[in-house]
Amino acid sequence: MADLTLFSFQAGTTVLHHLDIRVKTVLVCMLSMALFTAGFSACLACFLVVYPLMCAIGMPMYRLIIRLKGFILLLVLMAATRAVTVPGEPILSVSGIEITRQGLAQGSLVGVRFFLVMVIGLLFAATTRPAALKSAAQWFLAPVPLVPEKRAAIMISLCLKFFPLILSRAGQTADAVNARCGSFRKNPVRQIRFLTLPLLKKTVISADHLCLAMDARCYTEHRTDPAFESSGRERLFLGAGTGLCIAMAILSRSSFWMIFW
Amino acid sequence: MPRPILEIDHLTHAFFNGTGIHDICARIFPGEFILLAGPNGSGKTTLIRHLNALVRPTSGEIRLHGRSVTKDLIVTRKTIGMVFQDADTQIVADTVADEVAFGLENLNTPRARIHEKVDQTLAYMNLIHLKDRNPSTLSGGEKRRLAIAGILVMDPEIIVLDEPFANLDHPASRDLVEIICRLNREGQTIIMATHEVEEVITHASRMLIMDNQGRLVKDGPPRELLGNLEYFGIREPCFSRMGYSAPPWQT
Repeated sequence: MADLTLFSFQAGTTVLHHLDIRVKTVLVCMLSMALFTAGFSACLACFLVVYPLMCAIGMPMYRLIIRLKGFILLLVLMAATRAVTVPGEPILSVSGIEITRQGLAQGSLVGVRFFLVMVIGLLFAATTRPAALKSAAQWFLAPVPLVPEKRAAIMISLCLKFFPLILSRAGQTADAVNARCGSFRKNPVRQIRFLTLPLLKKTVISADHLCLAMDARCYTEHRTDPAFESSGRERLFLGAGTGLCIAMAILSRSSFWMIFW
Repeated sequence: MPRPILEIDHLTHAFFNGTGIHDICARIFPGEFILLAGPNGSGKTTLIRHLNALVRPTSGEIRLHGRSVTKDLIVTRKTIGMVFQDADTQIVADTVADEVAFGLENLNTPRARIHEKVDQTLAYMNLIHLKDRNPSTLSGGEKRRLAIAGILVMDPEIIVLDEPFANLDHPASRDLVEIICRLNREGQTIIMATHEVEEVITHASRMLIMDNQGRLVKDGPPRELLGNLEYFGIREPCFSRMGYSAPPWQT
């Protein structure tokens, strides 16, 4: 369990750690939307803002790239696919497969966008306590009719808590099966019987124990309302974030057309 | 004689396969340190889950201050704090401080009071330096202390611990014994279910022994029961087996 996923909270004292979760959520949504229409120059502007924040929370880019190498490989494959499938001006031809300038540009751009969205998500996850996330979910869902926001918030919180636990249990079960040569049997039915079913059983039992433990501590939906932490710089961040999104939109409009020219 | 906090009155819980607990009667008094011992499958966990009204009996009743524990579940669960065997599945929050605050939030305690009580409890349990840590990164002993802090913060009158030494190394077990003894000295009533009595037998004021059939077969001071434990499927403490008095760290 000590080996937590990359997307987990890391305690710290930076301004991002103390920023109101609601502002952080709005900023992440705005930046993600801005990135999906961003061109190269807009992505560069976003990167120049995000990079110092990454350094500030103690997560240098090289470490991130090492840990996300699987995801980056996926992005490279996605870019390569675009490079050979998008029609346009060919820059290289190998065995009848043409790599086009437009394809390469579009593929790279999509890869860069996804990478930046991932980095922003990671920045958000690393500086946000899951309890704060639960509070934000409760706050955002409160005006939605027919949605029991407190129940939904606790469900989100439990899912976030249980995900690493289930992964850990899956690893343990797989190890136990492989220690008895289970990996040599490729039959999918056997894999379901000896890996998936035990994992499912353990997960259900754990969930049952958790329910009892919550009941034992008087769990109810009518709980103390969440408190939102404030750094006092929420307006500044919201203003700067909006400014960045507008700048990215302006830069994107010009660079978008440049790709096709 | 003081009035009992808890009265277990002919409690029976039968499972479909015939196992369970049968006709348990006992009275728990304030300030007692009760060791509930018995072999695996004797029904210790089933019995202590009844104390907290987490399960309903087939017959019989448990009364807390003269009222059935099922009458007011909030009062019952606030008064009788329960520490489960597997700390990993008991811990619900993502930081140590949030985990301790969980019970108070359920009781609708004002936020300022929650902060105050959480800090006090974490300091008492020597966990304050781990306040912002993810509980899954704690050691076994720290997780157990966190689980106790999570119920201690609710000011229970009785703390019930289910196999608290399971999966703990020796230093962690000793730390835990020290904490439990300190709580008991400060007036907390302790009920501890365990099949390994070595660590705590000399601290307990009373011992209840259950047999394989789920029956309460012995109830008395531990010193009087020493020497006969193996008859009930409980490992005799080393000092007793060798004919010595209790070792100094236990006394």
